[in-house]
Amino acid sequence: MEKVNRSRDKQKGKKDTTAEVFSHSQITRLYSRFTSLDKGENGTLSREDFQRIPELAINPLGDRIINAFFPEGEDQVNFRGFMRTLAHFRPIEDNEKSKDQNGPEPLNSRSNKLHFAFRLYDLDKDDKISRDELLQVLRMMVGVNISDEQLGSIADRTIQEADQDGDSAISFAEFVKVGKLHFYLLNETAHPCFLHTLT
Amino acid sequence: QTEPLHTVAPVILSVNWSVSHQIYLDLLWWSSFHLYHKLPSIVPESCLLILVGLLLGGIIFGAEEKSPPVMNSDVFFLYLLPPIVLDAGYFMPTRLFFENFGTIFWYAVVGTLWNAIGIGISLYGICQISAFGLTDITLLQNLLFGSLISAVDPVAVLAVFENIHVNEQLYILVFGESLLNDAITVVLYNLFKSFCQMRTIKVIDIFAGIANFFIVGIGGVLIGILLGFVAAFTTRFTHKIRVIEPLFVFLYSYLSYITAEMFHLSGIMAITACAMTMNKYVEENVSQKSYTTIKYFMKMLSSVSETLIFIFMGVSTVGKNHEWNWAFVSFTLLFCLIWRALGVFVLTQIINVFRTIPLTFKDQFIIAYGGLRGAICFSLVFLLPPAVFPRKKLFITAVIVVIFFTVFIQGITIRPLVEFLDVKRSNKKQPAVSEEIYNRFFDHVKTGIEDVCGHWGHNFWRDKFKKFDNKYLRRLLIRENQPKSSIVSLYKKLEIKHAIEMAESGMISKVPSSVSLSDYHEGKIKPLSPTEMENMREILTKNLYQIRHRTMSYNRHSLAADANEKQAKEILIRRRHSLRESLRKTNSLSRERPAAANTKRFLSLPKNTKLPEKLRVRNKTSSKVGDSSDSEMDATTTVLNLRPRAGKILRDQRLRQQRPPPDFRVEWKNEVDGSQGGRGEPQEPSALPQPSIGFRQPLLTRPRFGTLSREDMTADHGSARPTPPPRLVRQASQGERQRNKPENQPY
Repeated sequence: MEKVNRSRDKQKGKKDTTAEVFSHSQITRLYSRFTSLDKGENGTLSREDFQRIPELAINPLGDRIINAFFPEGEDQVNFRGFMRTLAHFRPIEDNEKSKDQNGPEPLNSRSNKLHFAFRLYDLDKDDKISRDELLQVLRMMVGVNISDEQLGSIADRTIQEADQDGDSAISFAEFVKVGKLHFYLLNETAHPCFLHTLT
Repeated sequence: QTEPLHTVAPVILSVNWSVSHQIYLDLLWWSSFHLYHKLPSIVPESCLLILVGLLLGGIIFGAEEKSPPVMNSDVFFLYLLPPIVLDAGYFMPTRLFFENFGTIFWYAVVGTLWNAIGIGISLYGICQISAFGLTDITLLQNLLFGSLISAVDPVAVLAVFENIHVNEQLYILVFGESLLNDAITVVLYNLFKSFCQMRTIKVIDIFAGIANFFIVGIGGVLIGILLGFVAAFTTRFTHKIRVIEPLFVFLYSYLSYITAEMFHLSGIMAITACAMTMNKYVEENVSQKSYTTIKYFMKMLSSVSETLIFIFMGVSTVGKNHEWNWAFVSFTLLFCLIWRALGVFVLTQIINVFRTIPLTFKDQFIIAYGGLRGAICFSLVFLLPPAVFPRKKLFITAVIVVIFFTVFIQGITIRPLVEFLDVKRSNKKQPAVSEEIYNRFFDHVKTGIEDVCGHWGHNFWRDKFKKFDNKYLRRLLIRENQPKSSIVSLYKKLEIKHAIEMAESGMISKVPSSVSLSDYHEGKIKPLSPTEMENMREILTKNLYQIRHRTMSYNRHSLAADANEKQAKEILIRRRHSLRESLRKTNSLSRERPAAANTKRFLSLPKNTKLPEKLRVRNKTSSKVGDSSDSEMDATTTVLNLRPRAGKILRDQRLRQQRPPPDFRVEWKNEVDGSQGGRGEPQEPSALPQPSIGFRQPLLTRPRFGTLSREDMTADHGSARPTPPPRLVRQASQGERQRNKPENQPY
């Protein structure tokens, strides 16, 4: 436990708002998970460490999710970054909404969650989901029985439904609009929240 | 004396007739029931089975003018119940069970106590009212009745929960509770029964009763674990006699049950503990075929038992052994419901303090509503000694009413109620094609994040147990000495290799080509007709990958989800393929090199075609010997070190903006001989991101590979082999297109 405290204090030394959104026991668990993933024991995770998770290997979006943990251009993520990404997925609690209107928006706010999801689509980071990017994600999510033409038309249809400014791509604002309908999925209730895994 | 024979023979014959006809009819019914697939979703199967039983009972009663053969309690407890519990225990997700063990234990022990005493005392209060004519029922009799009616029945719970897809946590809570409360029920039942027969009760007796509970429960578990270990140890040495391996599993589990019952301990706990212990170790020792046999046979036994139980219940209802008393029956029912709801509510408030994730109101409702009574109460009530219980028939009637109510009314309505409680916040006004996509996308993301967080939290005891397990138990109980690689993972590797080869021939065309891109630029998007939209939605629904379920939701009638395995295979293959492609693409240091040359060299087709044949030949010989043993494999395996040097090169040069390929060693133990091993190695390192060897992948369960019979493999080979020549051509032309795509790999 000492080790945990020490490193956590180290992380907390830097101005770290993410540590405050998790409870003590949650941080402990996350840290223990972090260390169990970190086979090289150098305090950071590389992509291979993530790929060692077997369930992630058969998740269609596995690679993208892994990618989301790593900041731009880097290959290693430390515990703070790890927690930071995971902080997006805490459910929004009601008592958090009212406090701290002036501070930085909490990571698990609705728009930040959607932004996270948006970044999973948008690889070239131009703040638009082009048809091509959509096709790629679709292809990843779909079995082998759909032909390219069908997939193409589905992608077309998706863009058409969301696109409002006619640029044949989905901007973040348009994505938010569509995402709001299905947002509750990111916010739990029907499915066990990811924090269930921490029990 | 021939007299007894004359009287006995017709009885036996009639029993035989009725039993066999029952079985026959019920099988007929059951198969037709499953053919009409809508029905199970509305009405749980147990209801229909009881109805069939009622029908049969009515027929027999009408035909013979006497009560049909009542289900013998002995038959139930000795023969019908163990298979069901064994099945449930064997397929129980152990991790989830132990994670929630505290809560389960809390509900099972305290909850059952609460229910039993509450119902007993309140019924006693009702009996005191002389208007109902029940004053001769003593407090102890009421308490006994309360204890047997509060037993939540795993059979009924399972039967109903198959319809509603609750989340895993909830499922394990209710199910675990129904299994564990057997200990309490047995203790209470025996306690009160002996109290009823005693003249005076001292305080010491009550304490003895409490102590008895611990002995019964823990003793049962210990017996189960002990025999589970013995079974695992036995299977360590059975590689010469594969065919009777399944026998050991069933033998030892039944033995544990009987032994526990013999010592008046809890047989259900014993058999559950035995099954859970065996599951861990036996799985690795037995052959693939034995494993499949065990699973299917277990399912068969439990299905038959369950069907028989419910039908017997129906049959036994019809008859003359009833006494109706409005007050007693209705109040029993009322108190059962009230006390259950109260109990769950109060207990949850307390246990929520200790849980990281509190149970919501919906969870509580399902737990309370899912407390179904079933055959256990039924048999227990038949076991009451009529000398001590002059009003036994009244009890029987009340129990039957409660069971019928819970199974029918609660069973049928639980599903609509659960759906009603799921308040959906999205408006369904606009059924967009993309809706399914977004839903699934978010689900995958969430599942992925959950997996990153992982199951392994900070749990002192679990880590300790794992250490102990690895150090001592596994060495003792599992045959191979290499903890990393067992037969199972070896098979997996073979299958993966084979699947990859197969996939190469089929999957290459599936990468979205630039053809569709060019189409888009030329045409406009035309508005789609509703039918076209419907088609699209249908296509999507059918083809979108499912979310991985962490634990296979328990289903009495079917085994592992084959769809999930197929999907997992596809995803894995595609990822490896893309990774290989990306490596190949970026490994070419000069971009001017034509892609065609690249691909030809990489795929090295002639060798590919030989490979499947070799695999098949090897597999033939190996399966003749009996499912593989490592020692045989070792002679013909090579360790294929595919160490991608590309990683280093790429980092130096920063050719790619994407992440660099993973940089780890992959060991392939396969049957390819040395010459094949060089395939692709010196030219292209094909880094196959396989999760570390021997890592037990809970998702890729055995049936996936075990059920791939030889016939399947030969069929696949047959299709794979003629394709190489056209593949070459297609690949060459496609290679160019792929290079034109801005991003080839979906990373």
